[in-house]
Order: sequence, then structure tokens, then C-alpha cells
Amino acid sequence: MLVLARKVGQSIIINDNIELLVIEVRGDQVRLGIDAPKSIPVHRKELLEQIRAENVKAASESDVDSVSKALGEASDS
Amino acid sequence: MRIDTTRFGVVEIDDSSIIRMPRGPLGFEDRTSYCLIQHRPDTSFRWLQSTEDPRLAFVVVDPSEFFSDYEIELTDADVERLSLESAEDAMVLVIATVAENGAEVTVNLLAPIVINSKNLVGMQVVLQDNRYSVKHPLATQSKGDCSQETADSHPAAQTKAA
Repeated sequence: MLVLARKVGQSIIINDNIELLVIEVRGDQVRLGIDAPKSIPVHRKELLEQIRAENVKAASESDVDSVSKALGEASDS
Repeated sequence: MRIDTTRFGVVEIDDSSIIRMPRGPLGFEDRTSYCLIQHRPDTSFRWLQSTEDPRLAFVVVDPSEFFSDYEIELTDADVERLSLESAEDAMVLVIATVAENGAEVTVNLLAPIVINSKNLVGMQVVLQDNRYSVKHPLATQSKGDCSQETADSHPAAQTKAA
């Protein structure tokens, strides 16, 4: 991993077409601006981790009958 | 085509109904081929079954069955990946999670599965919208509003412009 130090107002350019700008530092929080082509997805890492974990949980049901029962009840409400 | 599944045994599927995901859902990126199975006839819930891994299947449902105000906005990247020419071609499904005790059903509104109904190319889209939760409860909900922030909302979603 490349580690760079930046001051507020300084930028990093990735791949010639992505700019990461340090906008503000307040306490332990950094506000970053991201300028990237619309074709490139940008997400908070922990959000992707959360989705991944939820997918794993969703895929792990094993008992089709109890799942169908729970869904049947959800359908009725 | 015949596929093997751990939940439903051997299933005969129509090759023309196979859904291709260039990248599989998060955590299962290498599983790129799926089919939709209607296991029970009297329910809107279906199973998105991997044709490659017999053990892998997700319960999915059309969110409009439960939520009248669920709206998704696709980025240019998403539209390009799906080769979507029109919003009407987009089929939206959300993944349901059933708690171990079977008492609670939640749906992931933040990362729906979007399928282009014209070419059956699909993907799990991560929405930019902070309103939606990965664990939106279903059980006690009648068709209604889903955009309140719930206790399950990601903490980052709580911050508005400071």
C-alpha cells in the first residue's frame, strides 16, 4: 500500500482520472472529495463489508421449510 | 439444462432463462450464473439459485410487493454494466435474510439485484442513497414507507452535511 501524507487542500491523482482531495480535517475525521468518472463506483469500505456480510448471512439458510414458513408469514402481513 | 441444488435436488431449467452476472453478489463474486426458482406457487418470494454452486441460493422478492416508495437510482456505471436501454427493462429484486429462529425476515434495500430483462444480465447494485438499510424488517410491515432511517442504518448514513 502506498502511503502519502497530505495537508488540507492537497490532492492525490489516481490512474490519471481520479482525484482525491483533502477538504477538511476535524478532530479524527477527514473530509475527502472524490472526483472520478461516473463509470467508476466509489463507496465507503465498511458499507461494502456490511453488504458482503449480509449476503453471506442471507445465503446461509439451510432449512427450506422453516424459511418458507417465515416468508409465508411475512407475505400475509 | 439440469442443475444440482442442495435445497431442491436436481432442477430442470430453461437455458434461455439463465441470468448472467459479470460479477456475482458481494462475497460471491466468482458465482456468475443463476436462475430464478419459484419453489412455492403461492408466494412472491423466489430463490435466486446459483447454477454453479448447488449450495448457493438467495431468497429474493420484488420490493414493490412491500414498499410503495422504494426508488432506486442507477449510476452511469451500473447502466453501462447492464447494457440497460430503458428503465422499464430493469427488474429489481431484493435479497431477504431469514433469522435463524425464523421469526424475522429482513430485506437488503441498499444493495438490490438489478437484472436487465432484455438480456438477463444482472448485478448487485450498491446504491448511493443513505436512506436505505441492508436489514429492513418485513414481518410486521404492510405495504408502506421504507425510507425512514431505522436503528439498523449504517452509522455513516446518519451524517448529513455537517
